[in-house]
Amino acid sequence: MKQDQYVMLMASLPPHAPDLFAAKQPPISRIKLNQRLTMLEPEHREKLDLIENLVHWDRLAIATSDDQIIQRGKQTLNAINNDLMKKIISWRLEKRSMVAALRRKQLDLSAPEPGQKWGFGERCETLVQHWEEPAFGLQRQFPWLEEAERLMNTGKHLDLERMLLHQVWVFYDRLSSHHFFDFEAVIIYVLRWDVIDRWSRYDDEKAAARLQSMSDSGLGEFKTLFPETLGEEQTAYG
Amino acid sequence: MNELMMTLGWLGIYAAMAFGAIGSIYGCALAGQAAIGAMLETDGGHGRYIGISVMPSSQVIYGIVVMLTLQREVTPENAAPLFSIGILCGLTLFYSALLQGRTCASAITAIKAKPEIFGLTLAPATIVEGFAVFAFVFALVLAGSIPQSPLLN
Repeated sequence: MKQDQYVMLMASLPPHAPDLFAAKQPPISRIKLNQRLTMLEPEHREKLDLIENLVHWDRLAIATSDDQIIQRGKQTLNAINNDLMKKIISWRLEKRSMVAALRRKQLDLSAPEPGQKWGFGERCETLVQHWEEPAFGLQRQFPWLEEAERLMNTGKHLDLERMLLHQVWVFYDRLSSHHFFDFEAVIIYVLRWDVIDRWSRYDDEKAAARLQSMSDSGLGEFKTLFPETLGEEQTAYG
Repeated sequence: MNELMMTLGWLGIYAAMAFGAIGSIYGCALAGQAAIGAMLETDGGHGRYIGISVMPSSQVIYGIVVMLTLQREVTPENAAPLFSIGILCGLTLFYSALLQGRTCASAITAIKAKPEIFGLTLAPATIVEGFAVFAFVFALVLAGSIPQSPLLN
C-alpha cells in the first residue's frame, strides 16, 4: 500500500524538533540523510531532487533569472503528478513572488510592466494593480504581508527571514499531519530538514560575524598592523 | 444450489483463519520494517522494537481457534451461518491486524525518540487488539448455536 511504502525509511530518521528555532542543527547530517534516502525508489528520488532543487535558493545558481525560475516551476508542475508536491511548489513560489514584489517596492522600483515575467501564481496581476497600496491590499488574505513589509522597511532583515521561515515550517507541519510513512512524508521530512539547515547556517554566519567583531576589538590598535593581510581576511568573510 | 451453499460453508470455515493470517502477515511486516528502521538510528532497546512488531500476530491465533470451532460437517442448513460468521470474523481480524501493524509502527518511531513513553505508546495497539478479541469471542459464542449435522447428533 502506498501509505506504508516507506515505513522503514521514516522509522530510521530522527524526528525534527517541534520548534524550528530551538534546533541548533539538523537532527541528522546530510551525508547520513542521503544514505537513508537510498531506500527510495529511483523515480521518487528524482522527484525529491526536483522539488528540492526548485524550492531552495541554495540549489539555484545566482545567475538564474526570474523567467528561468518561473519556467522551471511550470515545467516541474507539469512533470509531476503528486498533489502534495504541486501544492508545496505553488505555495512556495507564490510566496516568494510576494516577497520579491515587496523587496522591489522597497528599492523604489516601479511595478513590473504588463507581460513581463517576474513572479509565479495567479496573484501577480493583483500585486501589480495594487502596487502602491500597503501590502498590495492583500492584508486580509495574507496577514503576514503587512508584517513583512514593516520589517523590510525598518531594516530588520533577520526578523523578516525568521518570520518567513517560521511560516514555511508551520506550512510543512500542517501538511505532515496526514502523512506518516508514505512518499509525501519523506518529502516533508527532507524539506523541513532543509529549513533547519538553512536556519542553522544563519547562526553560523552570525557566529562568524561575532568572531570577526571580537577579533577586531581584541586586536584593538594592532588591527591595522598588517593592513594588507587583514584586508584579504575581511574580504573572505564579507 | 446445494453445491454453492456447501462451498460457501467451507469458505466460511477457512476464512477466519485465512483473513487473520493475511492481516497478521501485513501487520507484522509493517511493524517489523519500522523496528528495523529504528534499529538503524538507535544503539539500544532493540528487543522492545521487535516485541512490539510481533503484536499483530495474535489475530492469526484467534482465526485458528474460530476455524476449529466452526469445523463440522457442512450441510445446506448450516452453510449460511458458517459462511457469515467465518467471513465477517475473518475480515475483522484482517483489518485489526493491518491497523494494529500501523499503530505499532508509529509506536516504534515514537519510542525511538522518547523511550520513556514506551508503555503509553502500547495503549492504542492494545485497544485495537481489544476489538479483535470482541469479534473473536462473539464468533465463538455464535458458533455454539450453529446446528450440527443431523448425522452427528
